[in-house]
Amino acid sequence: MFPQKCRALGVTALITSIGLVACSNEARQTLNVGAIPDQNPEKLNRLYKLLSSELNRELNVPIRYKPVTNYAAAVSAFRTGSLDLVWFGGLTGVQARLQKPGAQVLAQRDFDANFHSVFIANKASRLGQIKNINGLKILQGKRFTFGSESSTSGRLMPQYFLYQAGVELNDFAGQHPGFSGSHDATIALVQSNSFEAGALNEKVWISAIKNGRADPKKVKVIWRSPPYADYHWLAQPNLDHRFGSGFTLRLQNALLNLNNQSSSQRKILALFGASRFIPASIDQYSKIEKVGRELGKIQ
Amino acid sequence: MNRLSPTPTILSLLPALALIPVIGVVVTNVHDGGRLLLVEFVGAALQPSLDPVVVQSAWHGLQITVATALFSWAISSFLGILLGLASASVVWQTCVGQSWPAIVIRRFLAIPRAIHELLWGLLLLQILGLSPWVAILAIIIPYTALVARVVSDQLDTQDRRALIALQQSGSKPFPVLITALGPKMGPVLISYIGYRLECALRGATLLGVFGMGGLGIDIQLAFRSLDFQELWTPLWMLAGVMFSLEQILSWFRSHLRSSKNAIKQMIITVALMIILTLISVPWLNAVDIDLSESVSWNAFPWPTVAELKIAFNTLPWIQLVSSTIMVTLLAAGIAIGIPPMGMMLWPSRVGIGVQSYIWALLRLIPTPISALLLLLFSQTSLAVAALALGAHNLGVMGRLLKEGLDEQSNSGWQSLRASGSGTQTAWLYGCFSGQSPSYLAYAAYRTDVILRETVVVGWVGGTGLGWQLIESLGSFNWAQVALLTIVFATLTLIGETLSDQCRQHWLGPSKVRPMILDLQS
Repeated sequence: MFPQKCRALGVTALITSIGLVACSNEARQTLNVGAIPDQNPEKLNRLYKLLSSELNRELNVPIRYKPVTNYAAAVSAFRTGSLDLVWFGGLTGVQARLQKPGAQVLAQRDFDANFHSVFIANKASRLGQIKNINGLKILQGKRFTFGSESSTSGRLMPQYFLYQAGVELNDFAGQHPGFSGSHDATIALVQSNSFEAGALNEKVWISAIKNGRADPKKVKVIWRSPPYADYHWLAQPNLDHRFGSGFTLRLQNALLNLNNQSSSQRKILALFGASRFIPASIDQYSKIEKVGRELGKIQ
Repeated sequence: MNRLSPTPTILSLLPALALIPVIGVVVTNVHDGGRLLLVEFVGAALQPSLDPVVVQSAWHGLQITVATALFSWAISSFLGILLGLASASVVWQTCVGQSWPAIVIRRFLAIPRAIHELLWGLLLLQILGLSPWVAILAIIIPYTALVARVVSDQLDTQDRRALIALQQSGSKPFPVLITALGPKMGPVLISYIGYRLECALRGATLLGVFGMGGLGIDIQLAFRSLDFQELWTPLWMLAGVMFSLEQILSWFRSHLRSSKNAIKQMIITVALMIILTLISVPWLNAVDIDLSESVSWNAFPWPTVAELKIAFNTLPWIQLVSSTIMVTLLAAGIAIGIPPMGMMLWPSRVGIGVQSYIWALLRLIPTPISALLLLLFSQTSLAVAALALGAHNLGVMGRLLKEGLDEQSNSGWQSLRASGSGTQTAWLYGCFSGQSPSYLAYAAYRTDVILRETVVVGWVGGTGLGWQLIESLGSFNWAQVALLTIVFATLTLIGETLSDQCRQHWLGPSKVRPMILDLQS
C-alpha cells in the first residue's frame, strides 16, 4: 500500500513539474487563433471550427482556437505571444499593437472602415432626435449607460463624441455612467428604462431590431455617430520567421479570399455578418489611438 | 461585574438590518420595465436550449471545469493545511515557545486572499502567457490562503488544557500537538475541505476567461447576448454537479462520523484527495487541456515610481474606498443576517427545505447575472450592487448554517418546545445559539470574500475600487492596478484585525471554544 501511494505521489509531482518547467517547440508549429467575442458571441465561439479548418486547408498548418472572453486578457495573450492571430475591436487592437511593436493589421470586414455607434433612448425619457454632435448635451443629467468598458463602439467612441459636445462622465445622473457589459445588455437596460439612454454598436442594434429583441415602441435611435474604423484581424510580427517566409501574406490572402461561393466560407462570412474581408492598414486606426490616449485607455 | 454585552446569537441576526436601507433604495427606484425579460429568463429555465451544438459545448465545458476544480482544490487544500499549521500561534508556541512568527505569516497571507481570482489570473497571464496553469494557479493562490486562515483559526481557538497537561508531562512538541489537537481537528477539517470543493467549482467557472474553455465561457457568452435558453443549459449542468457533490459530501461525512477513529478518517480523506488529483490530470488531458504545454516566461510590465505617483494623485481614493466599504458592509449584512432570520421565522421542515433550495439557486446564478436582473427593475445604485452581491453570498452562508445545524443534536430545541416555548424562540435558543459563535466566525471570512468580489459587481454602479480595478486593467495602467491591489490588501488586513479583536472583545477567549466543534465552514 505504502510504496504504491509513494509512486502515486511521485507521478503527480512529476506531472505537475513537467507542466511548470517544460518548454518544448511543439506549440510553435500551431497557429493560435483568438477572438474577442462581441457580436453573436456564442455562435462565433462554437462555429470557430469552420474558420480553423478553412485556414488549415489553405495554409497547411495546424490551427487552434483559444476562446478568451476578457478584453484585457486577449490583449495580454497577444503581448505574451500566446495568440498569433486575433480578431480585435478597434481599441483592443491598438492596445495590442502598441504592446507588441511590429504586429500586422491584416484585414477588416467590408464595413469596418466606416463603423458607427448609435445612441438610443427610452421613449419615456422624451429625449428627442439629435441633429448634430452638440445636441448630445441633452444627455446631461440623464441616466446613461455604455456597454463594456473596453468596447470601441460601446464606450470609447461614444465617450469621445460626448466629450466633444462638452459632456463629461460626471455630468450624468448619479455622477457617473453605467457599464452594462455588452451591447445586448445596453439595449435591454434602456428598453426597461433602468437607464434613459445608452450607446452601442450599430450592427448589434440593427440585428436586435430584426430579431425583435429591441422593441421600436419602447426604444429608439436618437443619434448615429460619424464613422470610424473598428474591428480588425491582427497578426504577430514573427509569423514569417516561424512558419516560413511569405506566411503572413498567405494568411492575409486566405482571409481576403473568403467568399460566398463555397458553403463553408459563406457560413464563416455570415457569422462575421460580412460579405467579405478587405485589406486594412495601421493608419486607419490612428484616430482610435489618439482618442484612446486622450481618454486614458491607452498609456 | 456583569457588563451588558451582545450575545453571538443576537450579533448574527443584527446584520440583517442592512436589508432595510438596501430594500428602501431599491424599492423607491423600482419600475416594471424589465418584466418581459424576467419572464423570458424564468421561462428559459424551464426550457433550456437542447440544441446539440449547445449541449455538446456545455458538456465539454463542464468536464474542463470539474477537472480543473478537482485539481486546484486538492492542491490548495493540501498547501492550505500546511500554511495553516505554519500560521497557528499554538503550533509555534508549543514548538518554539513564541507565537510572533505565526502572526507575521498570518498577516502576510492576507495579501493573496485580498486579490480576486480574476486579477490573479490577469497578473499571471502577463508572466506565463495563455496556459492552463494561469487559471489553476489563480484558483490555488487565494484558496490556499483562505484555507490557511480557517485552519489556523480553528487550531488557535481549540481548548488547550489537554495540550498544556501533555506538555507539562514532558512530551515532545510534535506528538503533543497531534495527540491534543488531532482528534478534534479531523472532522472539522474534513468538512471544511469538502465545502471548498464547491467553491473551487464556482471559481473554475469564472476562470473560463483565460483561454482554457470550460463552462464559464458558455455562461458568459450566452449571458452577454442575453440568450437565456442557451444560458440555462450550462447553468442546469452546473446545478446538477453542485447538487450531486453536496449529496456525496453529506454521505461521506455521515459515513465518517460513524467511524470514531480520527486518524483513520484523515487517512481516508487524504487518500481520496490523492486519487481525485490523479484522476483530474488525465481527465484534463482527455478534454484537450495539456498541463505539460510550454509556458512562455514574460517580463512583467512593472510601473515606474513616477507612474505610481501620477496614479496616486489621479484616483479619487476617498470616494472609491468609501463606496467599496459601503457595498461590502451592506452585502455582508444581507448575507450574514438573512439566513438565521429566515430560518427563525420559518423553522419547520418544509420551511427550511424551501429556503435551502432558494440558497442553492442564489449560489448557482453568478453575481453579474443577478445584478443585471435586479437592474432591469431598479435604477442603478450602490444598493443594487450590494443586493446582488449579498444575495449570492447569502446562499453560501445559508448552506453553511444548515450544515452546522444538521450536525448538532436536536435536544435543545426539543426541550424548549416541551417546556412550552414558541417555535421561533425554541429555534433561536435551542438550535441557533449553539451554532452562532461558529457562524459569526465564518461571517468574518465571508466579509473578506465579499470585499474581494466587489470587483465582479463594480460595473453596476460604475464606482468603487472593484470597478476602478477593471477599468485600470482595461487601460493597462499597471501603476493604478498596483495601488488598487495594495488598497484591497490593506482593507482586508484591517478587516481581519478588527474581526479578530471583536471576537476577542465580545465573545472572550472562553466563549469562543464551541466554534471548533461545530464549525462546518
